[in-house]
Amino acid sequence: MDQKYAIDIDHVTRVYKRDEFEVRALDDVTIQVPEARFVAIMGPSGSGKTTMLNLIAGIDHATSGRVAVGGEEITSMKERDLAAWRARHIGLVFQFYNLIPVLTAFENVELPLLLTHLKKAERREHVETALKVVGLADRMDHYPRQLSGGQEQRVAIARAIVTDPTIVVADEPTGDLDAKSAEEILNLLTELNRQFHKTIVMVTHDPRAERYVDTVYRLDKGVLAGIEPGKGAPQPAAAGASA
Amino acid sequence: MKYLVLIVKNLMRSKRRTILTILSIAVSLFIFSALVSFPTLAREILADRASSLRIAVHNKAGVTYSMPEAYKQRIASTPHVIAVAPESWFGGVYHEVYDQFPNLAVDPDQIDLVWDDWGISKQAFDDFKRLRTAALVSSGVMKRFNLHVGQQIQLKGTVYNFNVALNIVGTMSDKAPPNFLLFRRDYLEEAAGRPGFVSMYWVRVDKSENIPQVIASIDEQFTNSSAETRSESEAAFMGNFVQGYRMFFQLAEILGLIVVLTIGLVAANTAAMSIRERRGEIAVMRSIGFRSGTILGLLLGESLIVGLSGGILGCGAAYIILKVFAVGSPAIGLSNIQMPPIVVVEALIAAGLIGLLSAWFPARSAARQNIVDALRLVA
Repeated sequence: MDQKYAIDIDHVTRVYKRDEFEVRALDDVTIQVPEARFVAIMGPSGSGKTTMLNLIAGIDHATSGRVAVGGEEITSMKERDLAAWRARHIGLVFQFYNLIPVLTAFENVELPLLLTHLKKAERREHVETALKVVGLADRMDHYPRQLSGGQEQRVAIARAIVTDPTIVVADEPTGDLDAKSAEEILNLLTELNRQFHKTIVMVTHDPRAERYVDTVYRLDKGVLAGIEPGKGAPQPAAAGASA
Repeated sequence: MKYLVLIVKNLMRSKRRTILTILSIAVSLFIFSALVSFPTLAREILADRASSLRIAVHNKAGVTYSMPEAYKQRIASTPHVIAVAPESWFGGVYHEVYDQFPNLAVDPDQIDLVWDDWGISKQAFDDFKRLRTAALVSSGVMKRFNLHVGQQIQLKGTVYNFNVALNIVGTMSDKAPPNFLLFRRDYLEEAAGRPGFVSMYWVRVDKSENIPQVIASIDEQFTNSSAETRSESEAAFMGNFVQGYRMFFQLAEILGLIVVLTIGLVAANTAAMSIRERRGEIAVMRSIGFRSGTILGLLLGESLIVGLSGGILGCGAAYIILKVFAVGSPAIGLSNIQMPPIVVVEALIAAGLIGLLSAWFPARSAARQNIVDALRLVA
């Protein structure tokens, strides 16, 4: 393979057991996402979008198939190694921000840096930079309850990028926001992709997102239903895929 | 250290709950350390006396029965006996009825040989032998009544119908019984009209291995006499006194443990609630790279701080209250009671264990939960 992929999902199946039932959340899906792309995974509820995101983020295991992220195969990693890998390579953004309510914006963003060997002064520098990037340098001492939804999501994005991860994965990042805040978040993610060349994978229902991303992967009932170029693509999408 | 802010902030998440949990642990540890102090102190006193070379000789019928003073020479001539000190109970009070402490009259001639480990100075021993009204007073009594060496005091007789005027010539160290006064038996004998009886004999032997032999020899000498003797090592003699409180001590220890266990269960419930509320946050932390072990350590760290804070608070309060109680109850011989260091250690270990064990299962479960399932709960 000449092309270097940020994400390489190869014939992945994920089956959940719910009591006596088996739910096939993903069924033999293969996707390759090149580096430095901003891609969206879209589809109706129960189509397997979040499952795919969880597999990419290394917080879930495939039942079969192979998942490689940033050139590293994570399928066979043990939980302990996977945690360290996530700390180094993955920045996660959630729909409901999931900030720690007792920590300030600064402390929330600093959280992933506690897992590194950085000194306090270095951590401060990184956090301030990340908050500056998301435009919240003046809100670093605010607690989540003192911020708006959009601002909370910006803090969550700062937390996701503060360790300079290989990939940022965002699960419905605009799902709990009003239109204006959603636009701001999408612009911010686009900027991260364009300016800092971050690979961003976003699960979304939001049709506006198509205007920002390079590629849209459509899932339906656990299978890849289609790949479309997004309207934000600067050039025709170079993503390869098969299902 | 970098996680300390995280731990402290999480503890302050619900201040009321944290404070109430600390207070409940503090109350349980207060009860535990106060109750356990008594039997521990008794055991320590007994252990301290275990190496004593003294034998207590009293009437076989009981310690309240007397023996002829003529026994002194016969006991002194027993092989391996170095010194003998006859002792008579006076039972006087200082000013008022509640100003009580044990006061006894002893023969002065060999007192320095019998109680050479009580920290009495040579000068004090010499003065005691020289002055007929001399008294040696323990540090507890000196402190309680603000007495000083050289002071003259009067003890009102309760058993005898006369008072004794005494001159304090020296003090005893903490090795001696804490509430105690010794004066000369010849003074008591003269005032009482020379009845010629003593309450006890304290016998000093040369080596500890000879104690059983001397005990047997003394008791054998007075078999079939009008006042048969029963001799015991000092440790055994003290042990018999403590034996009377054995049930109380056992009950105190059991109650202390029950209280600690009960609060342990309450703390476990509180920890479980607190951790369950944060399952989503814990899942988020794990998703950003925190290992299960780190999460477990953070949760246990929080609980340990709560437990130890309660322990320090409860144990400290018990220490102070015990002191206050002891100062207020010298008449029953508790004026020098204080919490033994081992009880402080035990209480803090118990507090730490309450903290760790109460959080162990919920913390372990939360740290190992499936991240995806837990995140679904948040969403």
